[in-house]
Amino acid sequence: MSSPSTSSISSAAATVGELLAGSARPAEDRGILDEGAKREIRRAALSAVCVPGYQVPFGSREMPVARGWGSGGLQVTLAVVGAADTVKVIDQGDDDGVNATNLRRLITGSVGCAETTDSREASVVQTRHRVPEQPLAADDVLVLQVPVPEPLRGVQKSVAECARMHAEADYSSIWVSLYEDLVHNGVISRSTGYPVLVDGRYVMATTPIPRWDVPRLHRSTHLSLFGAGREKRIYAVPPYTDVVPLTFDDVPFEVEGARGARCARCGSVDTFLVEHGSARFGCSDTEWCDRVRAGDADAEAHRAAAPLALLPEAARRAGRQRPPVETRPLPPPRRTGCADGTDWTLKVDRIGKVHGPGGAAAVPGTGPEHRTAVSPVTGAVVAAWDIGFDVAPGEALGLIGESGSGKSTVLRCLVGEEAATTGTVRLAAVDRGRTDVLSLTPAQRRRLRIDVLGFVHQDPAAGLTLNVTAGGNIAERLTAAGWRSYRDIRARAAALLDRVEVPLVRMDDPVATFSGGMRQRVQIAKALATDPAVLLLDEPTTGLDASVAAGVLDLLRGLLAERDAAAVVVSHDFGVIEALTDRSLVMQLGRVVEQGLTDQLFRDPHHPYTQRLVAAARR
Amino acid sequence: MYEPVLEIRSLRKTFTLHTVDGRTVVSLRGIDLDVSAGEHVALAGASGAGKSSLLRCVHRSYLPDAGTVTLHTGGGPVELTALPDRAMARLRGRELGYVAQFLTTPPRTGPLEVVAAAGRRRGLRGPEASEAAAAALRRLALDEALWDVDCGVLSGGERQRVNLAAGTVSPPRVLLLDEPVSALDPANRERALALMESLTGRGVAVLAVYHDTAVMHRLASRVVRLADGLVVAEGSPDEVLGAVA
Repeated sequence: MSSPSTSSISSAAATVGELLAGSARPAEDRGILDEGAKREIRRAALSAVCVPGYQVPFGSREMPVARGWGSGGLQVTLAVVGAADTVKVIDQGDDDGVNATNLRRLITGSVGCAETTDSREASVVQTRHRVPEQPLAADDVLVLQVPVPEPLRGVQKSVAECARMHAEADYSSIWVSLYEDLVHNGVISRSTGYPVLVDGRYVMATTPIPRWDVPRLHRSTHLSLFGAGREKRIYAVPPYTDVVPLTFDDVPFEVEGARGARCARCGSVDTFLVEHGSARFGCSDTEWCDRVRAGDADAEAHRAAAPLALLPEAARRAGRQRPPVETRPLPPPRRTGCADGTDWTLKVDRIGKVHGPGGAAAVPGTGPEHRTAVSPVTGAVVAAWDIGFDVAPGEALGLIGESGSGKSTVLRCLVGEEAATTGTVRLAAVDRGRTDVLSLTPAQRRRLRIDVLGFVHQDPAAGLTLNVTAGGNIAERLTAAGWRSYRDIRARAAALLDRVEVPLVRMDDPVATFSGGMRQRVQIAKALATDPAVLLLDEPTTGLDASVAAGVLDLLRGLLAERDAAAVVVSHDFGVIEALTDRSLVMQLGRVVEQGLTDQLFRDPHHPYTQRLVAAARR
Repeated sequence: MYEPVLEIRSLRKTFTLHTVDGRTVVSLRGIDLDVSAGEHVALAGASGAGKSSLLRCVHRSYLPDAGTVTLHTGGGPVELTALPDRAMARLRGRELGYVAQFLTTPPRTGPLEVVAAAGRRRGLRGPEASEAAAAALRRLALDEALWDVDCGVLSGGERQRVNLAAGTVSPPRVLLLDEPVSALDPANRERALALMESLTGRGVAVLAVYHDTAVMHRLASRVVRLADGLVVAEGSPDEVLGAVA
């Protein structure tokens, strides 16, 4: 690299034109990408190699091909290829397609390198749809043109949420999509873009290639670089890296194809075949096909490496999609105690939440005695202040109060949907109660919601994915907790749905087709999926009509007695609180105004507010 | 004589009615009362004398203002008025039973389940609780066809028998009964009385309110008369109520 001489820059009389004329420029620059762009792409590619499977953003340039026609792969190729390289370009496994030919001309014309159609001669292979049948050599680079780099795109629309899921390796939604695929189709039907786990960390889309080629990325000798021009992402699989297709432990990964199918031209049975007319197949990789016909291919080694053992086999998956007819009852709960020997499962100390400026300074002048939650000093809303309680296993605590009294705020602070302004929350299941849960990272707190805290929202739509089946919604929790056996997940989901009295014939129907009461039952089953030690119920029956609410209430009463969980029940309805809880806190304008045994609060309320509530509840 | 199981000292209760105009209603003005194991103490007195309030203050459905209620459990004495709510809730199941005049059950639950649940709270295991519940209901002659129907559809007398069965199955140390036989016809009433009679033989301390002096004569080992929130007389049924004519 050369740089302009310092003397010409320091010259006071120089014009821009003179400066440019004085600077050293490449003698010949026919390149499509300037050196700066190449550097940036190389940097992104190096980052991608360092973090296998991670999508590295890069400043994708305009290319003389339409986006979606290989602009990402082209940029990567132009950045890595040098004049001494030999380039091969294939499209659908074919060297002679219009697109492949044009890209090859563009690359060789721009860089001045050699071109070939023989994979053995090529040092850089740019491809769309295929990995060449001929194994690549150790220092070769395979560049894949990627249309959709995000493996989570199908299950999560928000880019920010996808980034979070990758960051936390939270891939349960992709497992749910595999589960749903199995439920609906009996097999995992996804072909191109099969999700793989790279190096045990990132889930990666193999978008352009069929499932047939996926096993060939695993511990490959060559470097694979994936370029997505439209989406501005580069990712990589370095040589000798684990690439494992996601599948359940008891559901074998399968490649496309049928046993006994053979290429009509060369007779190969161990290549990726595409249909030519009816019931006739041909090799997708035309180079390989030609060489087999010419006797110029190591067919024996190729057959040994081909994924023939992964061809579909009906016997292995018979009867997979039917819901289980019999269910076993849920196993009894398991609970851990606290370090200090006390018996609480959940302990909340002086929780406070202020919406708006001021924090604790906004609190004076608010509360029931001032008849307002709005701070006269800062104008902030004190939604909850100085709330404390603890709950033991098998105990249910009620939080009762009118709308806006702050009871749901407390629950949301517990679960992490809102950040508490002050206070501590301890769980027996976390560090045996020594750690303040509020001090954990958002990722750790999300983790808690998977295996320690079960949450039932007033609106089932908030706790369920409506276009996913009832079983799939439960599978989301189970896969998040690490369950990887399809049969075990099915059995557990069936047992849970049976327990909440959802008919098993509806197990494989999307929750969107369920009635409100049935959805609430599914939400309860989902909350119970991992047998959480703490159950948080936010107005669990409020959105339901009376008869349905009664059924859900009966169910919850049975479950609380049976699961030995510590429960917090938020409701404005004394009937719900009375049916479910032993002890209660009465909240008004963000404060606890009275607490006691639930029946005592109901029969002998002391605080004027509680007396008003009780009087109102007597109809 | 047995040691007292339940000791009530200077118990006071005043209600403040904020929803009316903040006026206060005095219910108990300082009650002292002991109940021993195997003793059956009946509370007598006019309506509003504080009989039911006393039972509820012991059960903590009402929170007393002052005074103490000490329950002598296997694990030592426990002062109930200052007991934390959670401990009180647990104690209620095992040690302290309360049979109200009217059945308050969880809605949509059948008699067998109501009684079995009470048994489970007192430490009976699943099948054991169901057997004990069935035996209790049979003893009170509740028609077996009604065992699994919603308690809400039962007659007053049937409900009262369910209530009594739930209160007495695997009986707790102290049993509080508030007019437990008020709605029963003579035959069923006789069964219920026989059941309650048998409790004292099993060492249960009973504190009860009856409106019927004949019942007190039959069951009570001691009668305590309340008037205006105070104990005004105490002694054998004959002493307090006068001999049966």
